[in-house]
Amino acid sequence: MKQAHCIYQDEEHRWLAIARDTTKPGYIIDTNEYVVVHGEEALLCDPGGIEIFPSVFSALSAECDPTRLAGIFASHQDPDIISSLALWLEFKPDLKCYTSWLWQSFLPHFGGQDSTFVPIPDSGMTIRLDGLELQAIPAHYLHSSGNFHLYDPKAKILFSGDVGAALLPADHNELYVQDFSRHIRHAEGFHKRWMGSDRAKRDWCERVSRLEIDMLVPQHGAIYQGADVQRFINWFAALEVGVLRS
Amino acid sequence: MNAPEPNFHGIAPRTGELARIVRVNEEIKAIVATAFRINLMALNAIFLAKRAGNAALGFGVLSNELRRFAQDLTRHMASLREMTSGSVGSVTGVVQQQRIAAILAEALRLSGEGVPGAREARRRGATRLAEQQVRLRSLDLRLRAAVEETQQLVELGGVLARSAKIEAAYGGSFSAALMQVSTDFAEVIAQIKRSLEVLGKERLVKD
Repeated sequence: MKQAHCIYQDEEHRWLAIARDTTKPGYIIDTNEYVVVHGEEALLCDPGGIEIFPSVFSALSAECDPTRLAGIFASHQDPDIISSLALWLEFKPDLKCYTSWLWQSFLPHFGGQDSTFVPIPDSGMTIRLDGLELQAIPAHYLHSSGNFHLYDPKAKILFSGDVGAALLPADHNELYVQDFSRHIRHAEGFHKRWMGSDRAKRDWCERVSRLEIDMLVPQHGAIYQGADVQRFINWFAALEVGVLRS
Repeated sequence: MNAPEPNFHGIAPRTGELARIVRVNEEIKAIVATAFRINLMALNAIFLAKRAGNAALGFGVLSNELRRFAQDLTRHMASLREMTSGSVGSVTGVVQQQRIAAILAEALRLSGEGVPGAREARRRGATRLAEQQVRLRSLDLRLRAAVEETQQLVELGGVLARSAKIEAAYGGSFSAALMQVSTDFAEVIAQIKRSLEVLGKERLVKD
């Protein structure tokens, strides 16, 4: 079963990581979901697919009142990111889904109405959560053509979607990266294959290098913190992407 | 064929409703094809009656009636088909709602009692499902009424086919050919009757 771990707390401001589900069927890729809680509202980042909804919902409910969910941030359009949308809306019909304008007419195939979606322009936007300002940071072509990451300047956390993802073996259940060199081996093949544009990658590296980041939290695998964040950005900047095999 | 596997946590996919619509559509398609055949058979019978002249005047009249019957039947089936294709949307809505409700129920069960908003979510889901089921039941009633109406029309077709057999006996040298045509009519109409019986037993929703 998934469990929510508090990875950041400052009074009424929290980040929860719902990570590493050891009980899910092996044929479904493991995903991390993150919840930003601020004051009376919460935002769920990449809520995941239909199949894992019950475990994500129960993990979230254990740590946070689910009726406080004000929105969902979908980094892009993939099924492991947002195919559970209809289920979240079934629980809370007035939820807003923040996603690239590019996917505004595609995501309703998973659920929701026109009023559900808040399109994010290519340049990004500010998402307000009970007074907290979160930034949708452009990450187009990494890997999706309409792709955003979410930066919390107060917590100094960057939710980086598929960037930083690692496909870890079943027995690697650590929440945080313990040994960068060992960990990054599980990220290499994924980034080479899934990240299609070298130019987009360099743009992203420059953009996020200007941000103060204590934690880089990806949608798959473990969380980078402290010096490992810059280590990852440097590693990614040097990596040849858009290749089938190394 | 393998039985559908449960997707997760024992929630089996619900495919029965859509499978029923597929069966209804297949029966309708079969009847439409047969009605088209009757239309052609009636045209041939009209030509045959013309060749037979005075001896087959009655047969000619009946062939015209059978042709009209085939055209009426085609219209009935077109309207039935429209109804069933409309019902695909309603059935899909019910199936989706049931699946969503089942997964949400599992999520609430895992979360334990007292999750804020759970009761409201359950009530909203149940209301939506009930509304969709009412729509589906009303469609089902309309479909059944339309099938009954078509069955009455086919009864008339059966009477025409039997009368054609009697008229064929007075067809002089064309009697054997006319008898063959009228027997074919009777067989095809019996086939339609059987299809309609199957159709009459199908339900878009379980009682």
